[in-house]
Amino acid sequence: MGYVPVKGGTQAIDASIKRLKYERLKGNETIEIHTIMSTMRGMIDQVMSESSLYSPFLAALAIKQAEGSMEEAVFLMRAHRSTLPRPYYSKTVEPEAMLVERRISASFKDIPGGQLLGATHDYTHRLLDFDLIGESSESIQQWLNNYQMELQQVETFDEVKYFPKVVDYLREEGLFEKYEENNTAPKDITKQSLQFPSTRSERLQVLTRGQTGAVTSLGYASLRGYGQVHPNVGEVRVGAVPIYVGHPNEMEHDTDEDFYIGDIKVTEVESFVPTQVKNANNEYELQFEIGYGICYGQNETKAIAMSILDQCLEHPEADFPTHDEEFVLLHIDSVESTGFISHLKLPHYVTFQSRLDSVRQVKKEVQEVEN
Amino acid sequence: MKRRRRTEILIQENGQLAQELAETIIDAYECKEILAPQYGLTMIKMRESAKKSLFYIGEVLITEAKVEINNCIGLGIVVGMEDELAKHLAIIDAAYKAKLPETITWRNQLIEAEKQIIKEHAKKQAELFKTKVNFETMEI
Repeated sequence: MGYVPVKGGTQAIDASIKRLKYERLKGNETIEIHTIMSTMRGMIDQVMSESSLYSPFLAALAIKQAEGSMEEAVFLMRAHRSTLPRPYYSKTVEPEAMLVERRISASFKDIPGGQLLGATHDYTHRLLDFDLIGESSESIQQWLNNYQMELQQVETFDEVKYFPKVVDYLREEGLFEKYEENNTAPKDITKQSLQFPSTRSERLQVLTRGQTGAVTSLGYASLRGYGQVHPNVGEVRVGAVPIYVGHPNEMEHDTDEDFYIGDIKVTEVESFVPTQVKNANNEYELQFEIGYGICYGQNETKAIAMSILDQCLEHPEADFPTHDEEFVLLHIDSVESTGFISHLKLPHYVTFQSRLDSVRQVKKEVQEVEN
Repeated sequence: MKRRRRTEILIQENGQLAQELAETIIDAYECKEILAPQYGLTMIKMRESAKKSLFYIGEVLITEAKVEINNCIGLGIVVGMEDELAKHLAIIDAAYKAKLPETITWRNQLIEAEKQIIKEHAKKQAELFKTKVNFETMEI
């Protein structure tokens, strides 16, 4: 049987795209971009993180266009990103400069500066709130006014407080290894394809833009025995970090002449993992290492899971899939994984015909032998 | 005032001061638009705290603009889609580069705005401190 190339479907595709728009509009309702930005914080943070593009406005637009489909929204953002020039690289962002709005430790009750719960779903009952069905602009305004009145009684600080890292105190105690600043230029996986063995900078870049569900699942798998990392969360912090850029043409490198361009909100996690290390006497002793996780916006589960996977990949163990960098890093990207899975629904007529031909040929040969 | 501090104030303020300062320059000097506000990306380099190494967390959308005054090119860069603010920042940057006399008089306004920004940040932080945990040790 010969293969017959075919073309067609243009009109059907046009009609399908129109149908897609109809499905979005048929309820005769619209949602404003600013409504999405104001009410869908978690979704926007997830889209920005997985697409590796920080822009709440574009993320909200992508969510609207994708009708709430995360994979589609991330795809749209990545596609848009590829159309934009990248004229600048930031100066190194030091996370200590974070203006913290939430900061907790699961390892120590008393941390310098204290535990700040900020805004979190952690302590809610997870019961559906049916009052939200009838929520109106008036009731929102009333609630906001009351809350503002309550806050007016708060005693204001004279200056902004910056919190020290919990781990810095433990390093001073000698419980954690101290590292000098390593200023080796990081590799950029958007410029050069990932090669194995990977560098630490490549691993962190892939992990931070990984799909939330995939990163969480693999982190969970490590805890359940498909890995050897079960950490204590040393510190989770959420807040805004400032971004600075140097002048592209000025020859003098005076940091006071850098451009401040704005803030981005991130979640940062340091997990403490006990490990056995050999001391000077060649004896094993217990020490702690740090698993590091960070992502755009407030997404604590992803950042904690990333810290587990970071630590897993720092200790390659052939027996555990979560310690295998090729297994982890090549399967957690949203666009790569959803793209490859969904390409299976596109026409594979030739491939499948070829397989059918093979099966028919084998059956025919078997029949001839039997006869 | 140096650029780092100046841009911190002008961006963290709501953009009104940047507009006000830029308008005084537009009215008095020829401001040639070298680059109309355009969107682009900045790749963010971070230091992780586990081993103190560097990596890229991802990109951020920015708006940039360039303006020339008296043969001095000013640059405005800001996170987000902020055409007007980027243009105003570029004009102010060019004004400082060209050492225009107006920039000397801006200092007090900028310092006042800075005080207000710090006050607002401190107030916001104090409000968040209502969620600070006070542990009590229980007797068993």
